[in-house]
Amino acid sequence: MSPLETRKSLIVRLKNEQNDADWRDFVCAYEGFLNRLVRRQGVPERHVPDVTQQILLAIARSIEGWSDDGGRASFRRWLGAVSRNVVIRFMSRERRQAGGVGGSELMAVLQSVADRPDEQQLQRYQHELIVWAAEQVRHEFLDTSWRAFWRTAVEGQPVDLVGRELGVSPGSIYMSRSRIMARIRGKVAELDAP
Amino acid sequence: MPTARCDSTLLEHALSEQLSQQDEEQLAAHLSQCDACQRALEAMAADGAHWGTISNALKAEASGEHQPPHGAGSTLVPRLRSVGDEDDEFAGGHALDPTDFIVDFLPPSENADSLGRLGSIEIREFIGQGAHGIVLKGFQDELHRLVAVKVMAPHLASIVAARQRFAREARATAAIVHPNVMPILHVDSSARLPFLVMPYVDCESLQERLDREGPLPIGDVLRIAVQVARGLAAAHAQGLVHRDVKPANILLERGVERVMLTDFGLARAVDDATLTRSGLIAGTPHYMSPEQARGESVDVRSDLFSLGSVLYAMTAGRPPFRAETTYGILRRVTDEPARPLGELNPLTPKWFDALVGKLLEKSAADRFRSAEEVAQALEDSLAHLQQPEVCPLPQLVSDLLPERRAMRSRGAGLLAGIVLGGLLALVAVMTRQRQDPVDPAEGSRAAMATQSSERGTWDDGTDRQLEELADEADALLEATAIDVPD
Repeated sequence: MSPLETRKSLIVRLKNEQNDADWRDFVCAYEGFLNRLVRRQGVPERHVPDVTQQILLAIARSIEGWSDDGGRASFRRWLGAVSRNVVIRFMSRERRQAGGVGGSELMAVLQSVADRPDEQQLQRYQHELIVWAAEQVRHEFLDTSWRAFWRTAVEGQPVDLVGRELGVSPGSIYMSRSRIMARIRGKVAELDAP
Repeated sequence: MPTARCDSTLLEHALSEQLSQQDEEQLAAHLSQCDACQRALEAMAADGAHWGTISNALKAEASGEHQPPHGAGSTLVPRLRSVGDEDDEFAGGHALDPTDFIVDFLPPSENADSLGRLGSIEIREFIGQGAHGIVLKGFQDELHRLVAVKVMAPHLASIVAARQRFAREARATAAIVHPNVMPILHVDSSARLPFLVMPYVDCESLQERLDREGPLPIGDVLRIAVQVARGLAAAHAQGLVHRDVKPANILLERGVERVMLTDFGLARAVDDATLTRSGLIAGTPHYMSPEQARGESVDVRSDLFSLGSVLYAMTAGRPPFRAETTYGILRRVTDEPARPLGELNPLTPKWFDALVGKLLEKSAADRFRSAEEVAQALEDSLAHLQQPEVCPLPQLVSDLLPERRAMRSRGAGLLAGIVLGGLLALVAVMTRQRQDPVDPAEGSRAAMATQSSERGTWDDGTDRQLEELADEADALLEATAIDVPD
């Protein structure tokens, strides 16, 4: 059970020979992340599970249409596009139903989602994916290790200083933060293949 | 300490946590000084572009740059940065401010001294928080009783699999009626935040007790363990494996010596093949069995391993397998033997160490057969501890002692020696004092008695063992005596 094992085959499997077990695996892997993506695109909290379900349904319906064109982030682009379409559809339906109150606010959100060019959307997707992955693996590490990682690798503080303050050796900080980085990267890869 | 040399295999093993404690310390010392190895290790973890992308994304997140239009997800950053006030040494991951929770999710009550209302329950106070939800104290008007309400955390309530698991916990537990299992009174798995209702019991968890008091006296350890084993036996009788036996799920009632097993969140009927790999099985893996750690199917004996880890933690004050990461812990669980308890707590009787060792056998087939058997062994051991003269150590436990095991293999040789010695003595006696015969068995029994009193510090098991051997020797001598010519 390598922690760096990727889910590469999962998406391919899902496309080629869709069955219940593969689909369940897929949902288990993606549901949490999609909830987050949806939430962060401005969908109100109470509608998040609904919209995520709609995205999963849309994926089930259209996975046949996706092909690995060998281009950069092929699956990411596709999944990003599917989820964006669902969010836009949801928002426009909300807008029709909401009428006056909150309507203009939702309209603005809808507009901002729709206006976003592909590249920007992709960046957004990547950002959410990384933060989500970090959040997922956070609990696997001792608190001291995580703080050492955060202060040195994210905030750029000197290893010696952080080591002194946390009472750990610089060597163990190098070790911890490499493990954390490898783990985040591995978690991203699980949802980000092929 | 010798400084490790530059060795890329060593670095790879460090990254995937394959190093022993000692190698890891040496490598950390080496890394503190060796720039080349620092760079090599980081390059193995991720290439430069990845380091940049990931740390930039996290930095941007911390700065709030990517906040969505309504500000949703603003709680993420403190969660990620984690100031470190969690109870567990591993961060819970989804800390929830109880005040936020109460304001956001509890419908207000008409009653002024109530925090809010959940169905027919007036919520009175916040009791605590676990990995998967929060626990509230409430009062049920109609039935006029205090209850504890466990509410699922919002981040989980939006995940279908988690809701299903929650409903399963309720069903599973409701099927077990036993004084050592916390009952479920009511469950609502369709509410926006699913919740279940249990009797309110003034209690603390074994984890809290251990955090406060450290290692417990052996008598308390056994008293608690007997009841946990009884609760497990009741669950197992229903075909349920608990799967998450750990000090946080063992409740100690205040004022009485009752112990209750709770949180059957991971429990499922042994034959239910659904729901395997899922990131939801979070929390501490310290008490997992090797088969769980490997993601294999488990049976009741998996709970026995976890029970062994709990016994260990109660005696040593810390769980048997520790490492920096979840993965590291799991690897120790599957691959490395636990340090003998005697090394950590010199007051540990040998038989207790052996008993825990039996529970912590890596292969399920080498453990005890059932929780029932363990409960009985623990109960008899407790009786022995309290009245060593009256109650012998149960054979199931005394059989585990290393002396006994070694004795068994040495037995034949030892016996032969005794027989030979006895024969020589017999021959000597008979040749020297023919007219004044002495029962040879008498002499050898006296010798054995001296030997066993010299070893008085040994456990009863050994004493009894020696007695048995003496008896066998006597019997053999009697048999051989016939062949000795007059």
